[in-house]
Amino acid sequence: MALHLNLLHEQIFEQRQRQRDPLKIGILLLAGCGALLFLYYGWNAYRTLQTKVRQSAIERDWTKIEPAVTAAQKRAAELTSMINTLRVLDNYIDNRFLWAPFLEKISRCVAPNAQLTAIEGTVQEDNKGVTANIEGVAAAREPRSAAEDFRQMLLEQLGQDYRDVKVEFKALEEVESTTKIDGTAMPMAHYIIAVTFTLNSVPKPGAPSAPIKAKK
Amino acid sequence: MNLPSLNQDQIKKVMLSGFGFVFLLYVYFTFFLGPLNKSRRTAQAAIADVQHKIETSKGETAKTAILERQAKDLTGHFAALKALNPEGAPIAWFPPRIKGFFADQRIDKVMARLEGTTSFKEADLSGWTKYDWLIDLPQTDYASLGEAIAALENREPLLCIRKLNIHLTAQEPQFQQVTIAATTAIEKR
Repeated sequence: MALHLNLLHEQIFEQRQRQRDPLKIGILLLAGCGALLFLYYGWNAYRTLQTKVRQSAIERDWTKIEPAVTAAQKRAAELTSMINTLRVLDNYIDNRFLWAPFLEKISRCVAPNAQLTAIEGTVQEDNKGVTANIEGVAAAREPRSAAEDFRQMLLEQLGQDYRDVKVEFKALEEVESTTKIDGTAMPMAHYIIAVTFTLNSVPKPGAPSAPIKAKK
Repeated sequence: MNLPSLNQDQIKKVMLSGFGFVFLLYVYFTFFLGPLNKSRRTAQAAIADVQHKIETSKGETAKTAILERQAKDLTGHFAALKALNPEGAPIAWFPPRIKGFFADQRIDKVMARLEGTTSFKEADLSGWTKYDWLIDLPQTDYASLGEAIAALENREPLLCIRKLNIHLTAQEPQFQQVTIAATTAIEKR
């Protein structure tokens, strides 16, 4: 076998060493990674820009509709407040105890031989019930039974429109004086009747109600 | 795997390249990609917030429109109730009004005086005040009184009679002396 001498060995070795230089390879790798990262950054920057553009558009839209929305919210709050106030006011109006029908019922019960001298009525604080004292005199051959007739009639009349009606004598006593009815002297009895009842359905007032109209 | 053996100089260069790479990543994530992503997330959150507001506002506007339709009649009713009470201090206009009302009912010499004022317990009526009045009718007959009270209860829906005392007058038994304790609801102005 012939002897083969490689006289360029050193030059080839140096060239290989240069090619395998870790710093050079590192710089190349770094540059490659940098390029990839730059591309990724660019993609993210593009997405961010798109988001910002969308944000600006939406904020522009919101600026346009915001005054109308604020006005609508304010109006809704006003209307809600008005509706609630009106509901409570309507309750206040509907739950009133109407005295006119009550007075009318009492007047229906008073016979010609009876006379009322005082009526004192009070509506309870929660508008649930009414207490009244009715004072008067009755004249008849049996004045106590005339007073009892009045009490019975009152109980019957009030029972038609109110609940838990109680009509009781607080006092019933014959008085010494007499009165003339159809020319005949009749003995008299003085009575005080206590009336209590709770409101059932509120009777309508005597006269028809005029519709409420705003003053111009 | 047969790795080429590295000399001292080459090891230094590999380490330098490694440090460079780590530094590059640090700078990239801390000063470039991090703030960018943060900015995008902030913008997305703002978009979501505004979109939510827009969606809600659509509902609010629709609700207000429905409410407006529903409240059309109620608005008139409410205005009418408010118009029942004129401007000014109630003590200035209520007694003359009551006096005039009973005079129209042929009941004269009526006196109305203010007993006191209280607030409503209901929160919805915080803008309204209860005025307690004492109305004296020195001379009337029972039938006229009944008609007058019926008319009063119809004409003044915000007036509520709390107490009613009817007594015979000593001098003229055919007439009665009446005291009415009434409460009116009047809007604060």
